[in-house]
Amino acid sequence: MGMTSALAAAVSTGRQVFPSPCHSVMVMDLDEPLDTAAAEKGEAALRRLSEADPALFLSPSADLAAAARAASQHIYSSLAPLSLAQPPPLPTLLTDPAFDAEQIWSQIELLARPLLPHLRRQLRRLEQQPPSQQPPVATPAVAEGELLEEDGESSESEELKNEEELEGTEDEKESEGTQDEEEMGDEEEEEAELDGRGGNGVEDKFLKIDELTEFLEKGEEEEYGGGAKRREKKAAKNWMVESDGEDDDEDEDEDQLDLEDFEDDDEEGEAGGGDIRYKDFFEKGHHKQVKKRDGSIKKVQFKDDQAHESELDDSENDDGNDEQEQGLSTHEKERLKMRAKIEQMEKASLEPSTWTMQGEVTASKRPKNSALEVDLDFEHNVRPAPVITEEVTASLEEMIKKRIAESHFDDVEKPTMLPSKAPKEHKELDETKSKRGLAELYEDDYAQKAGIAPAPLSISDELKKEANTLFKRICLKLDALSHFHFAPKPVIEDMSVQANVPALAMEEIAPVAVSDAAMLAPEEIFEGKGDVKEEGELTQAERKRRRANKKRRYAASHKERPAKLQKD
Amino acid sequence: MLRRNIRQRREYLYSKSLEGPQRALFEKKRRIRAALEEGKPIPTELRNEEHDLRRQIDLEDHERQVPKSIVDNEYATATVREPKILLTTSRNPSAPLTQFVKELKVVFPNSQRMNRGGQVISEIVESCRSHDITDLILVHEHRGQPDGLIVSHLPHGPTAYFGLLNVVTRHDIKDRKAMGKMSEAYPHLILDNFSTQIGERTATILKHLFPVPKPDSKRIITFANRDDYISFRHHVYEKPGGPKSIDLKEVGPRFELRLYQIKLGTVEQNEAQSEFVLRPYINAAKKQKTLGA
Repeated sequence: MGMTSALAAAVSTGRQVFPSPCHSVMVMDLDEPLDTAAAEKGEAALRRLSEADPALFLSPSADLAAAARAASQHIYSSLAPLSLAQPPPLPTLLTDPAFDAEQIWSQIELLARPLLPHLRRQLRRLEQQPPSQQPPVATPAVAEGELLEEDGESSESEELKNEEELEGTEDEKESEGTQDEEEMGDEEEEEAELDGRGGNGVEDKFLKIDELTEFLEKGEEEEYGGGAKRREKKAAKNWMVESDGEDDDEDEDEDQLDLEDFEDDDEEGEAGGGDIRYKDFFEKGHHKQVKKRDGSIKKVQFKDDQAHESELDDSENDDGNDEQEQGLSTHEKERLKMRAKIEQMEKASLEPSTWTMQGEVTASKRPKNSALEVDLDFEHNVRPAPVITEEVTASLEEMIKKRIAESHFDDVEKPTMLPSKAPKEHKELDETKSKRGLAELYEDDYAQKAGIAPAPLSISDELKKEANTLFKRICLKLDALSHFHFAPKPVIEDMSVQANVPALAMEEIAPVAVSDAAMLAPEEIFEGKGDVKEEGELTQAERKRRRANKKRRYAASHKERPAKLQKD
Repeated sequence: MLRRNIRQRREYLYSKSLEGPQRALFEKKRRIRAALEEGKPIPTELRNEEHDLRRQIDLEDHERQVPKSIVDNEYATATVREPKILLTTSRNPSAPLTQFVKELKVVFPNSQRMNRGGQVISEIVESCRSHDITDLILVHEHRGQPDGLIVSHLPHGPTAYFGLLNVVTRHDIKDRKAMGKMSEAYPHLILDNFSTQIGERTATILKHLFPVPKPDSKRIITFANRDDYISFRHHVYEKPGGPKSIDLKEVGPRFELRLYQIKLGTVEQNEAQSEFVLRPYINAAKKQKTLGA
């Protein structure tokens, strides 16, 4: 598209442009009749532009601009019949001087844009198809096509890309395309057809019809030996040019290897069916019988330098192989298949296995995120979560209804309140007149206090007293723990006072502190004889006597204790 | 207030530590009492202590006979006053989660919902304590589906962590008019198949979220344990044709709870002791039934 952009630039005056070098490919006239005068003018204009000194384009020139406009108009009109929408939206390019470069460019774009993907598709199709045989020399227009094809598809595509004339190359491609379709073998033609038409409905980015057919064919080959089809393919390939031919043959080479090695039978299968062709005998086939063995040996070293020779051998050996295979019995075919499988499996077991088969694999030993794709098998120790089905709900509701009917609920219950206060003791007042006189009551009280008469203590009183004393002890301890200012031990009221005083003294009038009524008589303080000696004052005889007395008393009190056992 | 809390917590831990020997003592007393009642001789291992224990037995009344367990400790005052619940979510809740929490607010009587905002858990717990709230419930989610429930009893009490499964909210049900309004009376509770010790513990935790109902209340909340999955169901019943026919109408959300942890502190105490932790990766996990047979 370099030229057209240069043209567009040149059309507008006053712009600097650096023209790209133009490849000149001769213009091809189309089949449809053109206005010859206009065509000549256009061609003249094009020639003029191509011959112009590139430096001239740097400065704006009116005649170059006019030439550019004429040339682009010519190209446009020759391209217009090829556009996809017939009649094209704009039959001729409007190139009045009034039109700006942008406007002319947009007109061209209007025509060219829908064409480009169409052309690309054609190109891709051409590339994918195996190059067909020599098309018959039909028209001079096609001769060009032949030349291009022989150069190889890559160069062809280059040509297409570097095109100067859209319509010219377009024309070539179309013609080639049709010829390819005519000349191809059966299968390839089918493939092309499928490409063109069948793909529309079924194909998407996953499913490709040609891949499908390839796969099916491969499968069939494996199943049935594939003699017929392969021969045909080879027949087609024999016409191929070197580069592609070598690749394919080497691939087939490798496939054939196993069969070659284990080939025991040596059938000279001439009468191996009706697949004998002219080419087998008159093109390369006459080497077949002689060189078969050598060919097979050569095959083992499969990267040969003598490419061409090996290729020949390959081709003829393939043919020979096919013939042999057709003559094999089913048992032998199965054996061959088995051997192939064995080979495959042996090869696989020699390679390192995938990480899933490798036992303990840490994260560093396997590719990143590979554990996410694999379905790992864990033993789940957890019971799965319950699925709430109708039955579950029904059973729950059954249970609930039963409980309601029984009124058996697990509600929170109100607690039994602990009494915060002791229950009031209601003393019942007995209103009958007491039988005992007042003096008798006083007598009883006095007797109790003096300890003369035994108090009628009941068990409950004892227990109560004990409980009382325990409680007081606890209170004392709590007070000690909780108060900063500790209250001293309370006076326990039932401390009995020893009255070691005669009755007379109790009635003393003088105050207690002063009176000596509580005073004890000396003999009440101390009983015994006068001379009491201290330890220090004792004489030794005295001490001995004291000790002897002590021992006597001790012996008397501990008479019943058994004698110490003698240690043996 | 802080010192009181600390002291109370220490008391609680101390009484928990005493629980073991106290239980043993109770066992001995019980055996002596049984032997005395039946007239059989006292077991030989108890003869030394028999004298002291006999006196204690005599002094006991029926209240003191049963040994105090920690469970009773935590929920002792729960029955006296009604529970007060605060519901909140994890941070940045999605719309379905907030809807679910609103439904739970209606399910639990005496409850309040609070927006989480950017509060920290310790702040929330502090404010709950100062407002005399008894239980804090947190709801967590995963991509709109509620998937976690944390029930924390507040003074110092236990925290139970549940996972939620198969949540069906009232909002999901299209025909909301047919369901009608949810009754807000205090519900009756059904706690089915909580037979082990941990099951009993879970039952008390769930039970004390609800206040004492009136006997004639028509609202029923069910926690049914099947295979360690607790099903929550909320029904309203009617007895249209006499006492025998019962017409159940399901109201309110339904979900499955799965207990995975019980801690002996509140939510904010990370280092609190765990009473129970689910261990699903041990080999015997399939056979274990922690909540009930």
